[in-house]
Amino acid sequence: MFNKKQIISLKGSRKFRFLVIAIVFSSLIPLLLNDPFMIHVLTLIAIFAVYTSSWNLLANSGQGSLGHAAFLGIGGFTSSLLAINLGIPPIIGIFIGASFSAGIGFLIGLTCVRLEAWFLAMVTFGFSVIAETLVSQFDDVTHGVMGFRTPLLMPSGLPFYYFALLMAIITVIIIYLLMKSKIGLAFRALKENSSEARMIGINIAKYKLYAFVISTFFAGLAGSLYAHFLRYINVAVFSADNSFKPLMMAVIGGLGTIEGPVIGSIILVSIDSFLPNIDKYLQPVMSPLFSAVSNVGPPLRLLGLGLFLLLVVIFFPKGVASIIKRLYNYLLKQFRE
Amino acid sequence: MLDATTIILTLIWGVAIGSIYVLLATGLNLIFGVMKLVNFAHGQLLMIGAYIGFTVWSIFGVNAYLAIFFAMASVAIIGILVERFSFRRVLGEEKLNEIFVSLGLILLFDNVAVLLWGEKSKRIISPFENMSVLIGELSISYDWLIAMAIVVVMLISLIFLIKKTKIGLAMRATSQRQEASMLMGINVERIYILTFAIGAAMAGAAGVLFGIIFPFNPYIGALPTIKAFAIIILGGLGSIPGAIIGGLLYGIAEQSAVIFLGGIWRNAIAFTVLIIVLIFRPKGLFGEKGE
Repeated sequence: MFNKKQIISLKGSRKFRFLVIAIVFSSLIPLLLNDPFMIHVLTLIAIFAVYTSSWNLLANSGQGSLGHAAFLGIGGFTSSLLAINLGIPPIIGIFIGASFSAGIGFLIGLTCVRLEAWFLAMVTFGFSVIAETLVSQFDDVTHGVMGFRTPLLMPSGLPFYYFALLMAIITVIIIYLLMKSKIGLAFRALKENSSEARMIGINIAKYKLYAFVISTFFAGLAGSLYAHFLRYINVAVFSADNSFKPLMMAVIGGLGTIEGPVIGSIILVSIDSFLPNIDKYLQPVMSPLFSAVSNVGPPLRLLGLGLFLLLVVIFFPKGVASIIKRLYNYLLKQFRE
Repeated sequence: MLDATTIILTLIWGVAIGSIYVLLATGLNLIFGVMKLVNFAHGQLLMIGAYIGFTVWSIFGVNAYLAIFFAMASVAIIGILVERFSFRRVLGEEKLNEIFVSLGLILLFDNVAVLLWGEKSKRIISPFENMSVLIGELSISYDWLIAMAIVVVMLISLIFLIKKTKIGLAMRATSQRQEASMLMGINVERIYILTFAIGAAMAGAAGVLFGIIFPFNPYIGALPTIKAFAIIILGGLGSIPGAIIGGLLYGIAEQSAVIFLGGIWRNAIAFTVLIIVLIFRPKGLFGEKGE
């Protein structure tokens, strides 16, 4: 799939330098801020980077899923249930979970590849609702309604962070190489204009299915990591919230880019984790205005996120990544002069 | 369990609940037909309509059914603002952008509703609360019947507007050939605004009817959108009679699933039907063939 030339060409590029800087930075940062909460947030960022990258890969082939939480949940439940019932160590279980998710993704992909954008959005959303219903229906096997404690994958704290980081780096590199390869080229052709792509002899259904299987594999991997990280899983993992998160992260970060999902996860996970701290200052100021709610923090935050998403889509369709890139080029120019 | 009364009651409930979905689906379908736009935040307009109806009813003491007019007017204005400031800017670009804009709007509306009205469930009490007609063993509440009648009246006026008036002609022309209608002197942007406003007003009316029949909270919007979407896929994109038939069939299917399979299947059944249809007919049940 990848030849030597591509890997060599990767080495000299500017992207490669950024990758090295990002890896070094993300490995050192927890040592600098040695604080359990910070490490918790960083781990979540790494897990969501995997999840969002998987969503973004699918979007790159022109398929916007609104139900990726189905695969997050399938991965998480598979790995956790295997560990509990059959004693399979989670370190193997997470890959079985990912593969099982990819298998389901293959079956769902078979129905999805022929659909247009909004049909696909609806059907994928539907699968997440159906997955939730099935897991609740077969509660004897899944124990999903009440939820259960998932086994330990890595000791929490730094070991888990480095493991999640490793997974995130591997995911990002694989997706990067894939997008550079012939398959990635076909994906982009599909996204730009599927009838033209068909004209030049690209088998649309085949490549869309590839995108589906690869994407759901990584979504399942993210789900397994997530379940073992939180040490708990229940049907709430299938919520629409979890389906919309990767979409928001990818769009805000920069749709269709490699770095966008990572930037988006950093922004959104940070908002989710740090902004609740100001709730107690916000409450006395805002509560006379909005007497109907006991805590104005969460709705205000989500409201802001909605506005932010609208502004990004309307004014910066290439996301925050493009702003950062422009800023970097500007600074570089100033510096050289 | 499977006696005649249950079956007839299921059918009537299905039709009643279906008629609210029909109202929502027709509005969504109108917007799609004319603008080629899918507004995934359509259910949020229903939710806002329900809250406006609730406010007018509870604060000003307006009759619950008269509140429909207030809700329609306010939601139409909200619809115009939404069209003007968000959807118009991404119209005709990539389809994914419309989905992203809708998602932003969903977050916006849901949380504005939480801030203004709180998270607790509310209900609009109609003057006919707890009154029902008895036919043999069946008891059908007045509210169901009035809701169905209102839906019928609104659909007839909509069809009249589209088929018999000049504006309707312009809307039909725009839906068929947008550029050609522009050349014929139709102000396409104004038609878009009007279409979106009508669609939104219908969602607002559906909201008040919903609020009279069911308790509601700020998060009820998402599922009706999906159901309305399933209905227009069943009935064919852009076809109003299709949406009506699809809506009634869907309402009956949903009620039957609740009665015969259990409550947790209420929402999953929509998608099961949808997916089965799409496997065999990727463009919908009555959708056009080809590219």
